[in-house]
Amino acid sequence: MATARSRISRRQMLRVGAGSLFIPFSLNAGKAPAQGGKKPFEGVTLNISCWSATYPKLIADYLPEFTERTGIKVNYDTPGFPVYNQRADLELSTKGSGFDVLNVTFIYTSRWIGAGWLTPLDPYIKDANKTPADWDYADFLSGSLQPMKDKAGAVYGIPWISDVLMAASARFDIFKANGLGMPDSFDELDKAMQVVNKKEGVAGFSVENHWGWTFIPFLQGFGGNIFRNPPDDLMPTLDTPEVAAAAEYFAKLLNSYGPEAASGYTYDQVTEALRAGRVNFSPHNHAFCALMGQEGSKVTKTSNFAMIPKGPKGRFPGVASHGWGIPVGAKNKDASWEFIKWSMSKDFIARLTQKHGLGSVTRKSLINSDAYKQRMVINGVDTGKIFLDSIAMSEQGYMKYRTVHVYPQANAQINQAVSRVVSGQMKAKESFAMAQANTMADLKRAGVKF
Amino acid sequence: MPVQRLGWVAYRQRSFMAGMAPALMVLALITIAPAVYLVLTSLTPLNLTLPNTAWDFSNPAGNYIDLLEDPRFTRSVWVQVKLSVSTVILQLLVGLGVALLLNGGTRIRELARSGFLIPMVLPPIVVGILWKVMYAVDISPFHRFMAYIGLPVPSLITDPNWALFAIVIAETWEWFPFTMLMVLAALQMIPASPLEAARIDGANNWQIFRFVMFPYIQSTLVVAAIFRLIDSIKAFPLIFVLTDGGPGDVTEVTNYYAYRQAFTFSLWGYGSAIATLMVAGIFVLSWVIDRLTGAADAEAD
Repeated sequence: MATARSRISRRQMLRVGAGSLFIPFSLNAGKAPAQGGKKPFEGVTLNISCWSATYPKLIADYLPEFTERTGIKVNYDTPGFPVYNQRADLELSTKGSGFDVLNVTFIYTSRWIGAGWLTPLDPYIKDANKTPADWDYADFLSGSLQPMKDKAGAVYGIPWISDVLMAASARFDIFKANGLGMPDSFDELDKAMQVVNKKEGVAGFSVENHWGWTFIPFLQGFGGNIFRNPPDDLMPTLDTPEVAAAAEYFAKLLNSYGPEAASGYTYDQVTEALRAGRVNFSPHNHAFCALMGQEGSKVTKTSNFAMIPKGPKGRFPGVASHGWGIPVGAKNKDASWEFIKWSMSKDFIARLTQKHGLGSVTRKSLINSDAYKQRMVINGVDTGKIFLDSIAMSEQGYMKYRTVHVYPQANAQINQAVSRVVSGQMKAKESFAMAQANTMADLKRAGVKF
Repeated sequence: MPVQRLGWVAYRQRSFMAGMAPALMVLALITIAPAVYLVLTSLTPLNLTLPNTAWDFSNPAGNYIDLLEDPRFTRSVWVQVKLSVSTVILQLLVGLGVALLLNGGTRIRELARSGFLIPMVLPPIVVGILWKVMYAVDISPFHRFMAYIGLPVPSLITDPNWALFAIVIAETWEWFPFTMLMVLAALQMIPASPLEAARIDGANNWQIFRFVMFPYIQSTLVVAAIFRLIDSIKAFPLIFVLTDGGPGDVTEVTNYYAYRQAFTFSLWGYGSAIATLMVAGIFVLSWVIDRLTGAADAEAD
């Protein structure tokens, strides 16, 4: 050893010393750079788009922080839901490089993943150099991850939201004053609406006019479904007596107990009507219900929440997940992954929940934390528990109809069919018979064989 | 040498074509090539989720045969006819009326002219949002006023009996200034002498309008009607923002149906077939109007 040591020249020592200076940098590859050092993605610009919801809108304020950490600049936009979907669908179909990160929309998951338009994320998740273990992929709710996978189990999206339809009452004090609890069944809901509607000038019922989403728990509660056995058998089943009965019931709720122009209410109108106490009861998304307990709400102390009411055939709360994905044509996939990692890190999501009351998150550790649980308690009701119970119910598989590649076609027909019934243009049976014929024609055109 | 052999006329023709060639090439590139692509796509079952359908010409008439059997397409054409006829008639009447009121030289009229042009220069999406507010029962000043005077009006855009009318009103508001502008220009071209002569002869205002002014502005009205008719077929942003084609499908015009097939369902072959038929329809319409007005002009001469 002494001999060997004596053979190391001064020059060699200097080389080793200089080389050792780089060791910390090489071990730190993919992580945040040291203050003042060159950032790993300096000069990279990402184009990122997501539909307009609470979480993506909040992110916009934190982008300088991301740029500071990584050197990546971001062009970011959050158009409305339908506009976003059309733009993303078109962009993905070209396999172009216009976007580096896109939202993977729930109803398009099967279509986009099945067509090979998204990048598999497993190589990033499993690579310790790209994703540190403490980022903790296993922390995401399995129910939220499921729609982001293909049949072989490859992951194409990291879910940022799992939203559920739940029952919200803005003026539960009116229910209580009339000896009523939160309606647990369709029968109870109808009876309660007869009593509370227009009490103190408050309309009884309202619901978002995206019927392809909000009507389905009623359709399934009456025993109907959209397809015979999705995803394997895509024969539409919209002309059944169960679907017609559900549509009649649903139209009665809107027309008898809704405010003027109830059938035109979008999700933000429903949210504001609830927060202002202009409408009493609504099946509404958890993420929006959470806003009833936030600043500006007039109903924080009179609100109540429960799972969506059950019908004669059971309870079917709608559950939908949206996630970040990387288009297959994106040019800077490593940088795209940096954005997804940052925007879905435990710390960042925790900050958004604490500072802005963000709900419907997808990380188990956060959902089970005391701080989050407290934030999700509105007027003494644990909405976080309702959220988790609803997601657990969806694992039975009744949401499969929504992830098939031709659901957008069925969705459009259901929207029109319900609209015809609610507006009195047609009887439920007639309208849904038409929806059945139209859906079959659209599906055949899309290549579905019956 | 070629100059001598070709002769002056042929040489001039050749030079003319050579000069035009760059412009024609650009025109072909930006207009004809996409149109050819549209027609070719309409002969395929192109579905973006099925890449092998892109150049599948095995059943070129398939989309067109489907369209003949598609009741939603025929219904959308009928909705389009109702929308176009109503908006063109209303725009002509309102535009003509306002132009007659503003035909003069006072300062107030000049200011009003500029003010009336505002709807036409607003971005269509802004017009849509503006009318969305006007039709939202909760916040609309119109609905609040009507409720205040004891005549509450139901929501127009969610009522199937009124939804198309609501679109017609908004479309008319946006585009009557176009007719107004054209008629105003025509009115100001009328020489003063026949008007003065009519007044001296004791004609009242209606007679002056009917027998002196109207013949002067008649051809302008026809041109305005053609422009507005063709433009009305492109009505899209108002429907997108206000009704999304509903309630049901009462405001689903043909281009909205094509948009739904192409952009919502990714069925580009079928959507292209609808668009191709629309283009053909507009060509036929323009030709018929041109023939009719040409015949009328010849008769007048």
